Amino acid sequence: MLAATKILQRLPFFNRMFGVDAEDGLQEINSWPALMIASSFIWLAVAGLLGVAMPLIQRFDLGSELFYMALTAHGAALAFPFSFQLMAGISLHRAGGCVGKPITGVLPALIFICMNLGAALLTVAILLGFSVSLVVMYPLPVVGVANGQWSFNTLVLGFTGIALVLTMMIYLYPVQLLKMMFFGKKREDLILSERTLDDPGMLGMVIAALVLIVMGTPLMIIASYVLVALYGIIPLDVVAWATKPVVFQFAFFTFAHNLMEAMALMVISGIYATLPLYLADGTRELYSKRLANAALWILLITSFSSFFHHFITLLPNLPASLAYHGNIMSWGTGIGAALSIFTILATIWKHGLRKEPGIMIALMGFVIYVMDGASALVTSNVAWSFQLHGTMWQSGHTMTVLIAMSMMWIGVLYHHYPVLTGRTLSAKQGNWFMVLFTAGALGAGLVMLAGGAAGMPRRFADWAQGGWAVYGDLILVTGLLMAVGLIILAANFMKSRKLDEVPGSASAPEAAE
Amino acid sequence: MLESFYLTGWGAFGMMLFMLVPFMAVFFYVVISKSYGDSSPSKAPQSSFVKMERAWIGLVIVVFVAVNIASIDFMPTTATAKAMASGEKLTEVSFTAESWSYDITETKIEVGKPIRFSGKSLDTMHGFAVYHPDGKVLFTMMLMPGLEGPTSLVHTFKDAGTYTVRCLEYCGNSHHEMRDELVVVAAGS
Ligand code: HEM
Ligand SMILES: [Cu+2]
Repeated sequence: MLAATKILQRLPFFNRMFGVDAEDGLQEINSWPALMIASSFIWLAVAGLLGVAMPLIQRFDLGSELFYMALTAHGAALAFPFSFQLMAGISLHRAGGCVGKPITGVLPALIFICMNLGAALLTVAILLGFSVSLVVMYPLPVVGVANGQWSFNTLVLGFTGIALVLTMMIYLYPVQLLKMMFFGKKREDLILSERTLDDPGMLGMVIAALVLIVMGTPLMIIASYVLVALYGIIPLDVVAWATKPVVFQFAFFTFAHNLMEAMALMVISGIYATLPLYLADGTRELYSKRLANAALWILLITSFSSFFHHFITLLPNLPASLAYHGNIMSWGTGIGAALSIFTILATIWKHGLRKEPGIMIALMGFVIYVMDGASALVTSNVAWSFQLHGTMWQSGHTMTVLIAMSMMWIGVLYHHYPVLTGRTLSAKQGNWFMVLFTAGALGAGLVMLAGGAAGMPRRFADWAQGGWAVYGDLILVTGLLMAVGLIILAANFMKSRKLDEVPGSASAPEAAE
Repeated sequence: MLESFYLTGWGAFGMMLFMLVPFMAVFFYVVISKSYGDSSPSKAPQSSFVKMERAWIGLVIVVFVAVNIASIDFMPTTATAKAMASGEKLTEVSFTAESWSYDITETKIEVGKPIRFSGKSLDTMHGFAVYHPDGKVLFTMMLMPGLEGPTSLVHTFKDAGTYTVRCLEYCGNSHHEMRDELVVVAAGS
């Protein structure tokens, strides 16, 4: 039995939700992904509560330090060990079943350990006061030590955690994916639904893995130097070049921006792969592979240099010409999105759609994703950036894009679930989750964007200061809708039924290939 | 009209809705009518799909280009470049930011005079956002420590009143208390 299967069996509640069948011969593609998915939901449960806590902390004046702590823990946990780990689990599972390669050995174990141990260390640091927000705002971690906000040891702990998480995202996970795509022997017994790179759904995964490695490496180099210096192994002045804020910031945002684009490529390719399986006429084909692939390539090329939009307000330290470049490239990604929209709608129009909760959830995630895209384009325009940068608009954008991608993955997970666990989910509860979570996510997104439009600052412990408290209350209400949706989802996983106990579902595993 | 579109957060919100609402209407129509409604395959010929595809991509490109070109006149980058090129005398207002306050050389400003704001951060990342007395953000600047030159832009105030300065780059536990004021007075007073 694989280590992952054993760990899963010891997890209370979550074993009920994601435990795999050790006897079905598919453990080698099921276990590690299932464990990653289970852990991602554990992080979601904790960090989602912190989301709801934030408006309450402000309402009841529980203190700004508590607010910033909750904010940092919420953002970091939901971006990395939740969203990214969820994606890693489902995409590895998909890759395994498509190319017939096992997900076993040291690498998957390292992926799991680096992400969860790293995030846990960072969380401990945050609880010790390391409130730097999920983007660390370099050089804030160092300045905070100098002006007594947290200790040097806390900083070292936090950075160690971040380094582990980055190692997982930039190297271990992409390498595992590429290894499965290009190396090793195909095992017929593990193939669930064979696909090749010719398929847009597979192409997107490979591009995304490459983007992570290429765009992450500069940050990895800089972060490693800084970390080694923090450990006292090399003197700090040797790494002076790496600790310059401008160097760190640019390396950070080239990665952070492309990380989001890579995650988008990954999930859009997941949709491209899943949608055809739910067409009413059984065609199993996208409207146009050519258009689908074009969307992926446009997204890839425009995303490389659109990260300049993070620095538009640095004028003239970011020359105006680069600000315009970032503006144009960002809207270029919008063209890619427009092609995806057309591909999806034309596919559905042409072939009709089966109303299964999995695909519906994924499509609602796509709607939220488009809302996020619209908000992202607007704030990348140079004129609007000067009014929106640093406002709640930006938080709305960050949070919405992650929610959208996670929701699409949850839709895809719905599809994988019978193979992963040998159990089946209720359609009724799936629909309730879809309705509540979509309403909550669209609502929270719109409220945060509106707050930003009204000048409400992001990461700000005093919403009452400019009369923005009402937006905070609305975030609470919409957040609760999401929370109820997620509780229903959890109940659905808990009460999932064995495939062979469900009348008429004997064919489910094939339907869910 | 265009000014309140490009120079307010609500204009931005409007633009976002302009993209979102029609999309949602079409998306829900297609998804619902093709799943809950009649899910049989469409009989429309391939050529009509291709026509739609071209029209849609054309529309998107036209809207994207138009919105961005029309925005050029409203960019602070443009206003700054114009003011610098005009040879007009600029009033200099410099400031430094340090956790968690500002040090501003001149906080009394006249309506109608082009002001060049130039600022540096002495410790970590900070922002310098100027809020109109009615609560709207006029512009925000990002201050990154360790750079040689300051972040700077030229702005000309239209209304007299007390403007609030806030930091919009998260800078630690008292970030929300990092605040200052500018007093804008009528010309000649
Ligand atoms: C359960 C309901 C939720 C509520 C009530 C909630 C609330 C909030 C609030 C109040 C903020 C602070 C914004 C700011 O001050 O800048 C925030 C930020 C954020 N949220 Fe949520 N959230 C929820 C769920 C989620 C989910 C499901 C995700 C991701 C999948 C997420 C990801 C984020 C991220 C990445 C940030 C940005 C943190 C930062 O900028 O430092 N949230 N959320
Ligand atoms: Cu500040």
